[in-house]
Amino acid sequence: MLEWIQRGLWQGRITTRYPRVAESPPNGYCGRIEVRQDSGASPALAELCPTGAITLAERDRVILDRGRCILCGECVRAAPERFAARSVYETAARTRGALLDGSLEEELPAIRRTLGQQAASLRRSIHVRHIDCGSDGSEEWEIQALWNPYYDIQRLGFFLTAAPRHADVLLVSGAVTAPMRAPLERTWDVMPDPKALVAIGSEACSGALTASGGHTAGGVDQVLPVDVYVPGSPPAPIAIMHGLLLATGVLTEAIVT
Amino acid sequence: MSVAPHKAANAFAPTIGTPEPGPPPERRRRVTPLDLEQAALELKNARARFISVFLADTPEPALMGAFALRGELVVLRAPLRGEEPVLCGELGDWWPAARWPEQELLERNTPGSLDEAGALLTAPDADRLGRQVRGLDVFSIPYGPVRSGIFEAIQFHIETGGEDVPRLHTRPFFKHRGMEARMSGLSPQVAVHVAERVAGIASSAYASAFSQAVERALGVNPPPRAERWRAVYAELERMACHLDVIAKEAETTALYVGQARFQILKEQVMRLRARLTGNRFGRGVIVPGGVRQDGTMDLDEATAVLDRLERALRRDRRMFVGTASMTDRLIGAGWLERTLVEEFGGVGPLARGSGLSIDARHERPYGEYARLGLRVITERAGDAMARVNVRFGELFESLRILRQAIDHLRRRDGELLTALPEGASGAAFGWVEAPQGELIMWVELRDGLIGRVHIASPSLRNWALFDHAFPKDVLTDFAFIEHSFGLTPAGADR
Repeated sequence: MLEWIQRGLWQGRITTRYPRVAESPPNGYCGRIEVRQDSGASPALAELCPTGAITLAERDRVILDRGRCILCGECVRAAPERFAARSVYETAARTRGALLDGSLEEELPAIRRTLGQQAASLRRSIHVRHIDCGSDGSEEWEIQALWNPYYDIQRLGFFLTAAPRHADVLLVSGAVTAPMRAPLERTWDVMPDPKALVAIGSEACSGALTASGGHTAGGVDQVLPVDVYVPGSPPAPIAIMHGLLLATGVLTEAIVT
Repeated sequence: MSVAPHKAANAFAPTIGTPEPGPPPERRRRVTPLDLEQAALELKNARARFISVFLADTPEPALMGAFALRGELVVLRAPLRGEEPVLCGELGDWWPAARWPEQELLERNTPGSLDEAGALLTAPDADRLGRQVRGLDVFSIPYGPVRSGIFEAIQFHIETGGEDVPRLHTRPFFKHRGMEARMSGLSPQVAVHVAERVAGIASSAYASAFSQAVERALGVNPPPRAERWRAVYAELERMACHLDVIAKEAETTALYVGQARFQILKEQVMRLRARLTGNRFGRGVIVPGGVRQDGTMDLDEATAVLDRLERALRRDRRMFVGTASMTDRLIGAGWLERTLVEEFGGVGPLARGSGLSIDARHERPYGEYARLGLRVITERAGDAMARVNVRFGELFESLRILRQAIDHLRRRDGELLTALPEGASGAAFGWVEAPQGELIMWVELRDGLIGRVHIASPSLRNWALFDHAFPKDVLTDFAFIEHSFGLTPAGADR
């Protein structure tokens, strides 16, 4: 056992300092697709997207719904003058509307500061429960990664709890398949107020690929009210951490009011 | 390398049905629906391994059976004429491996014909369990689909008197998303995005199996450089999955430093993939015809990362297998007898842990593996420790393959993508050895678009064995045994 302790100490500190210090993804990492030029589009653009995330609004304006986007890059390859992949981690948003290609990252440093304070104001004791409602399995890996030494979300006061009755935050992955609908509703019902629901992954945000098949509800917000959306297929651990920190805002607001 | 198995397969002389042309090593035979059972029995007697039964549309509606026999993929095709009912439900009586695939086929194609909603395999109801064990003090635990911790949705119905587990029943299909049907009507380049998301933790395996099926159906050969890249991504994926299993085993014994060590190594593999492909799961690179791009990282640097990783892994393995509190829980737990694994058609590290040398990379070498030598790691014990040891062995084998492939990639340049013929039709199988075991996909193409797809996933096939993994174990061994299987419900449910 002593050898294991030595081995642990030998590694040194590898943990990220996020959200105090920004974490930058490796070159070429695709965290979100953004619209570079949104006017004068042709209807053929909408055909590019396998999940129907690209739509045309009035006056041929392109709208990219990041909640539906699975980051496959088909649009970037076909129309590089209009779409570009951005190498960012922070993609979560408090409303579904904000995912319609809103620009959030301008005020990111300020937001990061508030996020850290919010977690602290909850006395660093936020209990998290997860339920899988039809993910592809990768979201679970990325959520589990939050408790590994690289991300160590316990330093911010997030703990995993086995019972929904102790939970403050519910993480939901997957587009909600028929057999998982009742278990999801029951889990949410027994959680005490105030509580926040975080949809992890594009499947959970909108159904993405599976929305049209008739096997899923097409997103968690078709079943329960969602407080934070974390799009991505799957979102990286830092993106999920960002979403969890946004959820603390939901909780603090609920306590104040 | 695999010459001997091919010769041996010729010794099998089937008497039922007529041979049909098919791309080797596929061996297609046409039978009548009534003869299918007899033909399958003949294959079982020849010691074939059951893979799947499913419905195909190309070239005509037919009931298909797929079997692995000494380096060959034997395919029985029984054309269905008009309103003829799907004849099925007999194989499972004498071939346990066929039970779940047959039941799935029946339920999906004749909805409403089976009552008892709780007994349905493909539409499980979390509250209807169907107890079977009766007796004083016997109680039943429905474990799942909402489970403590971060796990995928699946239910285990455990009937126990407190310690022993007289009956355990696995209930998959809580997360069936219709991924096979989702692919139909898409072009192969777009459908591969769906394939990658069938089982997210094995994205590269699913993308490769799908791409190889399309390539074989259309008679396209991807360039060797593309096949090397596919092998690189496949082995990185295997490493990530195996390290995940080992980290979870350490977590279950509360060996927290050990858990952290293997999580660190897994995260390093994920980051290496992110630097090579722009995605932590290696998605978006493998496409039918080859790969989209070269790795976006300096290969010398990638080798340096692998060198560091291997040094750390050697030390961590030595400590892991030398920690008695760890090995005591694993040795003897979840014992699977070799004949049982054979009956159920088990594949992957699970089968190799029970002494069966089943590995798609060796049985029917594809892509880069036809050029590389592969050491198939097997263990005889058949317990959780054996399965973990197989994974440790494979981690080092993966590192060896990675070095070899990266060395080739660094020295020579070459094409990455072969164009697919426009508007072509065809149908074929594609297969890879996914981290969970042999993955087989049947893909049909009509006028350049994907038609019907069938996925025989390693997770579903291996999970049938979980019900039988508790011969002498108690309830508290559950987590060790489950992790040692290392399966993914997303892949099983599709």
